[in-house]
Amino acid sequence: MIKRGFLRPRSKKAADPGVGGNGLRRRGLSERKLALLFVTPALGLLALTLLWPLILAVDLSLRDVRFIGKPGAFVGLENYSDVLSEARFWQSGLRSLIWVAGNAVVQTALALAAALVLHQSFPGVQIARIWVLLTWIVPTVVVVIIWRWLLSNSGGMINPLLMQLGLLEAPVGFFSSRQSAMTTLILINSWRWFPFVTLMILAALTRIPGDLDEAARMDGAGAWQRFRRITWPLLQPTLSVLLVVGTLLSFNVFDIIWLTTAGGPSGGTQTLPVLIYETAFKGYELSRAAAISVLTGLLLMGFAIAASRSMTREEGA
Amino acid sequence: MTYKTTSSLTFSILLLGSGSALAQTELMLWHMEQPPHRVERVQELLDAFNAAHPDIVVKQEPQNWGEIYAKAPAALAAGNGPDLLFAIPDFAPILKEIGAVQDVGAFVGTLDAKHDLLDSAVGSYSYDNGVWAVPLYNMAMSLWYHKGAFEAAGLAAPKTWSEWQAATEKLTTDGKYGIGLPASKGLYTDQVVYNFMVNNGASELYNADGTFAFDNPKTAESYAMAAALQKFSPPDSAGWFWGDAEACFASGTCASILQFTTITTYETQGGGDAANLGVAPIPHADGESQHNTIAYANAVMLLSDDPAKRVAFETFISWLLEPANYGRFLNMEPGLFLPVTADGAKADSFWNDPLVQKYKPQIETMIANSANGMLFGFTNGRTFPSIAPISGQNVLSEVLQAVVIDGVDPAAAVTDGQARMQDIAQ
Repeated sequence: MIKRGFLRPRSKKAADPGVGGNGLRRRGLSERKLALLFVTPALGLLALTLLWPLILAVDLSLRDVRFIGKPGAFVGLENYSDVLSEARFWQSGLRSLIWVAGNAVVQTALALAAALVLHQSFPGVQIARIWVLLTWIVPTVVVVIIWRWLLSNSGGMINPLLMQLGLLEAPVGFFSSRQSAMTTLILINSWRWFPFVTLMILAALTRIPGDLDEAARMDGAGAWQRFRRITWPLLQPTLSVLLVVGTLLSFNVFDIIWLTTAGGPSGGTQTLPVLIYETAFKGYELSRAAAISVLTGLLLMGFAIAASRSMTREEGA
Repeated sequence: MTYKTTSSLTFSILLLGSGSALAQTELMLWHMEQPPHRVERVQELLDAFNAAHPDIVVKQEPQNWGEIYAKAPAALAAGNGPDLLFAIPDFAPILKEIGAVQDVGAFVGTLDAKHDLLDSAVGSYSYDNGVWAVPLYNMAMSLWYHKGAFEAAGLAAPKTWSEWQAATEKLTTDGKYGIGLPASKGLYTDQVVYNFMVNNGASELYNADGTFAFDNPKTAESYAMAAALQKFSPPDSAGWFWGDAEACFASGTCASILQFTTITTYETQGGGDAANLGVAPIPHADGESQHNTIAYANAVMLLSDDPAKRVAFETFISWLLEPANYGRFLNMEPGLFLPVTADGAKADSFWNDPLVQKYKPQIETMIANSANGMLFGFTNGRTFPSIAPISGQNVLSEVLQAVVIDGVDPAAAVTDGQARMQDIAQ
């Protein structure tokens, strides 16, 4: 957050009327105008790359355009009322929430465990820290090919392994029912993304002063108590940021779902981004897809605003 | 020769040269045959054509099937579209609707008279008083099976549905599956499902007036049969795309599959024993008498209304369909792309490829099967614009998923499927 007076000179050099903010201010530029001047190029770029397409998307959602390159008549809010009365929209929205929640839980658990292990000192920890990042580096298409092959009934390794361990009696299709497909996809996506979260948590762990842990240890606190009373509370700010960023990132995941199940089976993994793609480019209903996009955008914007307000309140407290 | 004469002559030659360069017509071809070996073969053909036709230059830009549905209309709207674009039947109506596609009926008539084009291939692009693309190659599904597995079980290739069901049941034993049938939401499942429909007299999606003909007892029977056979497929087949079925077949886990071809996969991953690779027409319902199949006639559309480009297009396509060149074009993927011309089916340039020679009996059967090819939404000249989104949203496979995954009664699922088609059409 920009604090008032952040441009106040703190050194003699900066206080020189010919240099810095004061010099410009004397030429008739107030602090506010100066700040505006500095952010204008960035705002202009954002307006060009973000705001203008958003305006076009809203305009598109108010028309009846089916194909790219074909004009459409103005229909007002008809697309919105159609979308909101469609069961598929609500079902996809619910699946998106399940997807986000599932990913948040699995990724956080995996990442926290990995970060706590990698925070320790043991031979090869540096290699392990690099190694854990590999799944994040692998391109999505490769991830999908690897996992589809591993889970396949024709030469895949997972089914025979689970059968040998006595966890399965016969091979199963991991993408053959709605529930198993969604669960499997959440696990694959979490496997792909947890290194990123691990990295964030690991960075936060290194910032926790070691003397706190040491003092608690000397006071006789066990490992669990030290984690619950010191590590966990001090990780909260990082985890809160990760919750917001992770939710937004997870919500918008399209590639891994589309490439693995294409939203199937029987719509079981059709989240909102998949529905938007299908509506626009498979159903040739660009305007309706734009309406879903706008509604989804509003939902995410609402979440981001609420989350950042909540975080600001926590920081204030 | 005086200096003046020499200069005049040189100037005239230069002028003529520049004049011919100016008169050169450039055609930009977009196709979706992306694998490098296919791009390379197309380039070889373009180089040969361009060398033989100095007044025309054809260039290629390979595209992606996943993107072309959005990219081509956008490029055309922006004025950067190609002059020639490969198509499958359900892609053509989209470009036709935005007014980009040129009628090539007269040219197709000329080609038909010379090469005898496959009627079903031309039919897929013939509607609204025009022909909207020139068929270039065909893909038709067949029943591919391991001869050894069938013989060991005392079975021959099934001809009817009752024989088919009995065979798949018998062949499904420990870790082996009688058939690999997909039940995913995707084009592959659409194609497989339609094979059941066309072999049970339920080929029409539309009535002549544009209303839907999908909801009928024959269609429901077809879905019931597909679901019955699906029980003898691997558990993961509900998430299959084309490659998964081929992998299952090549590994020997599946005794049979429905596929356009398995030759390349079988050759590279399945042992390559040509004598053990069986291919047969897709079995028909017990009350029917003819084996039918789904067939995709891939074609090329002309998107430019420039008369010079039309002439160049006709010159190029005429050259490509000449038997001496056509086989080389088809064999950019040996054993997959089938000829759509009678003389192309006999061309040495087609049959001389080593892989085609090795699997000659199989390819001959594929060509024979393709003669009874049909495509949903493109039969009997009954083509309506709604087929593009119906195909795009894989309604045929959605219905199968309702039956196989959600356990919905086939008749009810088909009724729901027709309602969904009507909703999309509106």
